[in-house]
Amino acid sequence: MRLTKNIWVLFLIIITGAGWVGIDNRYFKPTPVKFQVPKGWPQPVYDFSKNPLTEEGILLGRKIFYDGRLSKDGDFSCGSCHQQFGAFNTYDHPLSHGFNNSLTTRNAPGLFNLAWQKEFMWDGGINHLDLQPLAPITAENEMAETIENVVNKLRSDKEYRKLFKAAFGDELINTQRVGRALSQFLLQLVSSNSKYDKVMRGEASFILPEQLGYEIFKKKCASCHSEPLFTDYSYRNTGIPIDPVLNDLGRMKITGNSSDSLKFRVPSLRNVALTFPYGHDGRFFSLISVFDHYRKNMVPNAVTDPLLKNRLPLSNFEVGQLTAFLYTLTDSVFIKDPRFAAPGAGNNGKPPRDIHP
Amino acid sequence: MRTPAALLYMILLIAVTTGFTAAGKPHLPQKKITLFFHHKLGNEELVLSSPVKNILGETITVEKFKYYVSNFSVTDTRGNTVVLPVQYFLVDEANSLSKTIILTVPDISISSIGFLLGVDSTRNVSGVQTGALDPSNGMFWTWNTGYIMAKLEGSSDASASAGHRFTFDIGGFRNGINAARMIHLDTSGTGKQEQIHITADLNRWFKGSSEIRIAETPVCHNSGALAMKIADNYSHLFSINP
Repeated sequence: MRLTKNIWVLFLIIITGAGWVGIDNRYFKPTPVKFQVPKGWPQPVYDFSKNPLTEEGILLGRKIFYDGRLSKDGDFSCGSCHQQFGAFNTYDHPLSHGFNNSLTTRNAPGLFNLAWQKEFMWDGGINHLDLQPLAPITAENEMAETIENVVNKLRSDKEYRKLFKAAFGDELINTQRVGRALSQFLLQLVSSNSKYDKVMRGEASFILPEQLGYEIFKKKCASCHSEPLFTDYSYRNTGIPIDPVLNDLGRMKITGNSSDSLKFRVPSLRNVALTFPYGHDGRFFSLISVFDHYRKNMVPNAVTDPLLKNRLPLSNFEVGQLTAFLYTLTDSVFIKDPRFAAPGAGNNGKPPRDIHP
Repeated sequence: MRTPAALLYMILLIAVTTGFTAAGKPHLPQKKITLFFHHKLGNEELVLSSPVKNILGETITVEKFKYYVSNFSVTDTRGNTVVLPVQYFLVDEANSLSKTIILTVPDISISSIGFLLGVDSTRNVSGVQTGALDPSNGMFWTWNTGYIMAKLEGSSDASASAGHRFTFDIGGFRNGINAARMIHLDTSGTGKQEQIHITADLNRWFKGSSEIRIAETPVCHNSGALAMKIADNYSHLFSINP
């Protein structure tokens, strides 16, 4: 009898204690998501421990990514200039359109494999993925909004308060959580299913021009566009003459060193067939014009990359084979993956069938 | 049998109701000190939107004056320095509440205090921060990651830029261009140890190690040489009111 009483009292004490301890996050159980590193790839540089991936966080990030309220007039979401069918670049635009008929000064790059990227923008001015969205949000010629207004707009939306609670445990909405949610979505954008990847995995094989192109690529391009990410994320001067209107000095604007004049980040060549026009200001309309830059039109100067001091000789034959190889870097699964599409845009929840031959 | 069980309940009950909060607290007795920041131009009290002549003879109308203070430490009369847990405050002339800062310090006889004017480089490379460091406070460069350590903006007839504006947004955290400055202030002359009045004299912004004339340099929006010059000036910004 006394034992029963003892057990009861003990039980009550434990219940009281447990309730007291767990009062804040009793119902907070987001679903963790494990980040998959494709086989043979390096470890990502993003610190997932500070921003653990969850299904709820990723869904929230996707909603924010496609929400026009991030801009002053409501017209521009992240997705307006980062279009999935162009591997998240602004398809077929040298520069993107911003608030009040303005134009950006640089080409919107495709967004993929961001977990491996340490610095962002063509000049590497931004040192953390969570911070990156603040630049286009506040730029006068992009979304032209203030961070404060964006956060307030989201706070006033009941749906968002619910989604933030599901992702982070309570309804608090601040800059940090907006950045983290967007990162959770952006980190999902892994492009690793091109024909090239399948060949590397032994699931497909190159046809002859692709194979020849790959050999030329390894000899002439891979020292900067290194596999498997097809960039070494360095900043290099490739002998691009300055555009007198944009007057963009690139990396030098960030470091203040004249040795960084006209240096821009080496772009990844993944999905390169979709991400035209090329160059930091979109000045190259086609792959051919890029090849012609390297073999003919470059203007080398004192800080031009040593690898390009004598330009990059390429025969017509090599250009043809290289083009064939570069087309194998298109990831047709990635650009149709419904997980990355705008919420409710014909999303049946299943990845598309691979349309690659 | 009965006594041990009752004792067990007692211990459990105490542990649960206090939530173990007592555990892990430092044993040193603590006290609170209050720092009051006063903003002046020479002997004049700084008033926003009101024209005043600075030490170089240029008439200026200040519209914004704010800066970060962080990484506080206190030193006792024997020279022992205690570094306080890192905290960040944004002092803003437009927000009088922000000009009073309460710190919890060990109960020692304080002879000087130290703090960083600005934000240490660690916080500049750690993603989006919250509270005083939230980028929505407008003290953050979004295009070239980094905090604006101190901001002084307004207008002056001496300025040749649009609207006769001058805008000094001083930042930069990388080696060689770090615009944060360590400040050490001797507080031994103050009457009340728990209430320290600190004056920031904006004249020193314009004239310190070098002279910053609005007529010559009305704008600083980048890290680099000019920002470093102004930072060297503002490293002498503060003094203790006796």
